[in-house]
Amino acid sequence: MSAGAQPAGAGATPLSARWSRRRFALLHLSLQAVIVCLCLFVISVPLPAPDSRYAVREATVAGPDGPTPARLPATFPGSTPRRINLALSFTAPDKLTEEWSVLAPRFTNAAQVLVNGVAVLDTRRKASNNRPDRNAADMAVIPTQLLRPGVNELSVRLYVWGPLSGFLDTLYVGPDSVLRDAWDWRILLFSTLPVVFSSWQVILALVLGIMWFKRRQETAYGVLAAAMALGALHTFLIPPEQPSWLAGIRAAAIGSAPLESGLVLLFCMLFLGRRLTPLFAALTLGPGLVIALAGLTGGPEMVRQAFIWPGLPAIALCLGGVAWLTHGAALSRRDLVSVLLASAATVLVTCLIRDVLTIAGALPHQRIFVTRMAYAAVMTVIGACLTWRFASALNEVDSFAGRLVTQVREAEDKLRASFAREEQRKHAAALASERARLTRDLHDGLGGQLVSIVALAERSGAHGAQIGEAARSALRDLRLVIDAMDDIDGDLMLALGAWRERTAARLRPHDIRLDWRPLSPAGLPVHQELRPWHVIQLLRLLDEAVTNTVKHANARCITVSFGSFSDGAARGRIIIADDGHGFSGRKTPQGRGLDNMRRRAGRCGVNLSLDSGPDGVRITLDLPARFPEMEIPT
Amino acid sequence: MTTSPTDTDSTSAPSGGITVLLVEDDAPTRGRLRDALAGEPGFTIREAGTMAEARAALDQTAPDVLLTDLQLPDGHGVDLIRETRARFPRAEVMVISILGDEESVIAAISVGATGYLLKDAFPTDIAATVRDLVAGHSPISASIARFIVRRAQREPDAAARPQLNTARLTPREIDILWGIAKGFSYADIAAHLGLSRQTVPGHIKSIYRKLEVNTRGEAVFEAVQQGLIKL
Repeated sequence: MSAGAQPAGAGATPLSARWSRRRFALLHLSLQAVIVCLCLFVISVPLPAPDSRYAVREATVAGPDGPTPARLPATFPGSTPRRINLALSFTAPDKLTEEWSVLAPRFTNAAQVLVNGVAVLDTRRKASNNRPDRNAADMAVIPTQLLRPGVNELSVRLYVWGPLSGFLDTLYVGPDSVLRDAWDWRILLFSTLPVVFSSWQVILALVLGIMWFKRRQETAYGVLAAAMALGALHTFLIPPEQPSWLAGIRAAAIGSAPLESGLVLLFCMLFLGRRLTPLFAALTLGPGLVIALAGLTGGPEMVRQAFIWPGLPAIALCLGGVAWLTHGAALSRRDLVSVLLASAATVLVTCLIRDVLTIAGALPHQRIFVTRMAYAAVMTVIGACLTWRFASALNEVDSFAGRLVTQVREAEDKLRASFAREEQRKHAAALASERARLTRDLHDGLGGQLVSIVALAERSGAHGAQIGEAARSALRDLRLVIDAMDDIDGDLMLALGAWRERTAARLRPHDIRLDWRPLSPAGLPVHQELRPWHVIQLLRLLDEAVTNTVKHANARCITVSFGSFSDGAARGRIIIADDGHGFSGRKTPQGRGLDNMRRRAGRCGVNLSLDSGPDGVRITLDLPARFPEMEIPT
Repeated sequence: MTTSPTDTDSTSAPSGGITVLLVEDDAPTRGRLRDALAGEPGFTIREAGTMAEARAALDQTAPDVLLTDLQLPDGHGVDLIRETRARFPRAEVMVISILGDEESVIAAISVGATGYLLKDAFPTDIAATVRDLVAGHSPISASIARFIVRRAQREPDAAARPQLNTARLTPREIDILWGIAKGFSYADIAAHLGLSRQTVPGHIKSIYRKLEVNTRGEAVFEAVQQGLIKL
């Protein structure tokens, strides 16, 4: 399963069969609109906040032109780096029943909070808090001694080191139990959840990387694995505060978003089977590499600058490219996989636009970035889908192998059957050639001599008639033997047909007619087990019956009737009857002939019954349901 | 013999008499056949014991019927049949066979014979058969019919000999052959297939003609195939 060659491969449901192009485009656009609305709705859900009684909003900002009032949440644009001093106040109850805390839900980039002139919270102590994209919150308990009943002083030193403007959300000062719930929520959403997503990314990066390692042609998997690995690095590497030998690498990793988005664009192109030129790949990954290089050589400050320009435009371009590619694929292919990818792109683009608006200050009093989280979630889902697809492909391979096994077995059976047929054919051919050889030999030798005897006997008058008859009878027998050897496919009728000809010719000089009377339209049943020796016995038996009639019965007509009767199984019956005088007044003088006939019948399992009356002799032969393989001793 | 008296309409010989060229190397047999035919009115018999004599006789007169054995001292009857068919297309050819076996009879049919005669047939049958042939009634035996049908219904087998071109036979003709192979009379066959009894012999003649290999090239090819000619 190569992603490039078969982009809509395993697991893809062709929706194209069900919907026309136009209808599908409409449906697709509606779906994307719904996704955008859903995203905006989810983003707009307010974060849990403590009771507003404990909110501290009114501040005084110290500035070069004297103090100015400000109401939190507030943005502080201006040059960076700098420190902004805010003075606020809150009222504590006369009698404290529990511990009080101060909660800073959102700040850019770092804040130091002092109560009555004593620092109680410094967010710079937790390095991850300093990441502007992390939506970090911080909270600290106010030592009880510091709190005075009534109005207390609260001052905030907001450190802004760019590239973003400074921001401080509403502060909360109140009983610890009241504040902690909101804080816990924020920790869960903005600290734990990214770690969970990143862990998934690590696992998927491993799985996809191994897939790529074992199947190098699946370049798309390798590229996605790289993107995921970078994403995970981005989460787990702590941003540098002080210059150190690790700071460069960390800075490079933290500025990896443009590189990641470039990789995602490449993945989409590979996955959708687009042609990828080295130049395009270089252009896509270029900005990300420049930022990484800046991080390695120039340190955090340079990364910050490079991230805004060219990092953000590169991210926007790459995500735009992804959206363009995936939506184009969805509209042209109309399959489930393309629609899923396109929807993921829609989510990312929506989040990105919102974040850019936030940065630009178009959404005042907002400093929650969602793109990174949405990206992590979407990548996890895509990775899971790919793994799913890979497993489905394996299943398909399994079932293909199963089908193959079945087909091979069928082919084997067919081969065996055809081999058996071939054997049978060979056997028949051998018999036919043996028969041809025997015929030729008899024709050239014995047959010719017998014919000469007939000719000579006829010329030597009445005395020769007997010799001639004997020679003719020998010729008849020759023909019978040859005929019986012919492959008649178990159809006794074919043997009887030739017998009828011989017998009619033989009876003609005696002025005896031979009547041929089928009793049922189907005639005699076919016996596949019929062998030449059965045929010879039966035909000789009939010959003997005819001989008896010719010699003794003084008959004018012999009638041969044949047909099937049912005796459980369909069985054949042959009746040979003459219109002579029967055995009237005589014992059976041809006893030996009759015995012979009975013996022949018995050998083949044929039941012979004989009726004799003044109207003639009638011999009934009931054929067996199945002719015996060996002669039955009689 | 193929046809029983009930099967054939014995028609009288053409007014001019029937000229028969009898080619048979065995003198007693030849004499016997000659006597059988000469004993009947309306036959003029010419005899030959070898291919050379037969050719000489053919040079003198055109026979109505060629009655020939296949094994001749100086050649094969198949060649004689082919020559006769080529020179006298209106002549009927009948092959004399000892056993009526398909190998010799089919070889003769494929070069244009339309009937066969058993060497030990009774004299009356001999004359009747020749007369029927001239009247357009070709005799066919059950075993020959069986052989043709079998060839027509099986897939062609290159090794099978003699070869036979059965492709042109119609289903009706095959049905007729089946009837003959199973021993049914022309009347039975006609009744079963819904034909007029008189048309059955015509069908049989047509079958023979279809089995004949018409062109000389084909004939040579067939003969080589059959091992009758060695190249």
